[in-house]
Amino acid sequence: MSNSEKLIKCYTLLECKSCKNITKRKFTSTDFVFKNEGDCSNCDGSLLITMIYGKTIE
Amino acid sequence: MDFTNFDLDEFFGMGDESNPLMMLLWIIPIIIFVFYGQRIQLYISGNQIKKDITKLEEFKNESRQKLISYIKNNLNPKDDPVKKIDSFLEYFTIMPVDLDPNGIIPKINHLVHSREDFTRLQVRGLFNEISDFEITKVQNLLEIVTSLQMFHKVTRHLYLTAKKQKNFPLILPLQMMIPFVMEEADALKDAVESLKSGQPIGDSIGPMVVGEMMLNTSKHNAAFETVWSESEFEGRELLLVKAEGPNATVGRPGEAIQNIIPKKKPNLIIMVDAALKLEGEDSASIAKGFGAAIGGIGTERFKIEQVATTNAIPILAIVIKQTIHEAITLMSEDIANQAKSVRSQVYEMITENSKSGETVMIVGVGNTLGVGQ
Repeated sequence: MSNSEKLIKCYTLLECKSCKNITKRKFTSTDFVFKNEGDCSNCDGSLLITMIYGKTIE
Repeated sequence: MDFTNFDLDEFFGMGDESNPLMMLLWIIPIIIFVFYGQRIQLYISGNQIKKDITKLEEFKNESRQKLISYIKNNLNPKDDPVKKIDSFLEYFTIMPVDLDPNGIIPKINHLVHSREDFTRLQVRGLFNEISDFEITKVQNLLEIVTSLQMFHKVTRHLYLTAKKQKNFPLILPLQMMIPFVMEEADALKDAVESLKSGQPIGDSIGPMVVGEMMLNTSKHNAAFETVWSESEFEGRELLLVKAEGPNATVGRPGEAIQNIIPKKKPNLIIMVDAALKLEGEDSASIAKGFGAAIGGIGTERFKIEQVATTNAIPILAIVIKQTIHEAITLMSEDIANQAKSVRSQVYEMITENSKSGETVMIVGVGNTLGVGQ
């Protein structure tokens, strides 16, 4: 199967700068790496998008 | 089996008792191949090339259609953009004459910048209101469709010329080159989706490494679509440079470095970039080396090398290996995961190659699509 025939899903990784909690969700069109995404649900720390990447679904 | 009584004449059907039909069976194909061999080869090779040319045309049409739909559905153009987009695709660039190469770099630089400025202006003219982020995306998408159109036109020209002149040797270079052309065309076609969505691509790894180092620092304009900021690490002053994200741009790092160096006089430059891997090498592997790690037509590298040489500043490079497909399509998990490791290796390079109190410039090279700072 060629690269283009594989299904690639895009994910966004968010990290809380205070509690270091990492969450993963589906990419949305307004996301970009190092964007501040508001407050962490666990603590008052700020959530930062640290990674956006594609994962191949076989 | 006994081979001692092997008779050559009998084998070729030329013995006294042989059948003349058997003789013809050998001779006719030889005659055909002597006179028509090249045409047969041309026909066989031509068929495969023809299939690839059809594929290239499909890629071009598909990406053109996606660009038009994206503009119509998401960007609210003033008028129907189809005619204007089709006219952009036909623009060509005449490179400066190189019979006397002395002083050719500023000419190429001027030409490339003029083309970029013109395209930006034309794209902006399509809309009443459009953000810089969207302009850079449309510019990149136009570049993709133009490249695919060029691949299609050139391969078709070479194929049709060989066919028209029934000239087999003419098709050989095309036969050798077409797998590489197809690999790049396939990558370009797949890059459209990431560009439309504003997602980071493999080439964004350099800006991603430096982008995090720039967080919580005050950013200044260093050159067109290029930012820089100051930071500190273990007694060293850090000058951080990258293209302005999350726009789909590589910025003008050469110009930026030329502007910063006279003011800040760094003792060392470290460049972080994506690099094409060799066959057999692992994707997302990291390599360190010397010299300006930057691709493109060569004008930006020239500027960096020139200013570094004039000021006797050593340049170190750290690259993240990837295929052409990985470099221009959505960043893979493996490559994204390397950002942390590259960053720690950059810090290691800083401590190993500079002393406390010195200044080090770190440049994140690549398209910063989907990566802020």
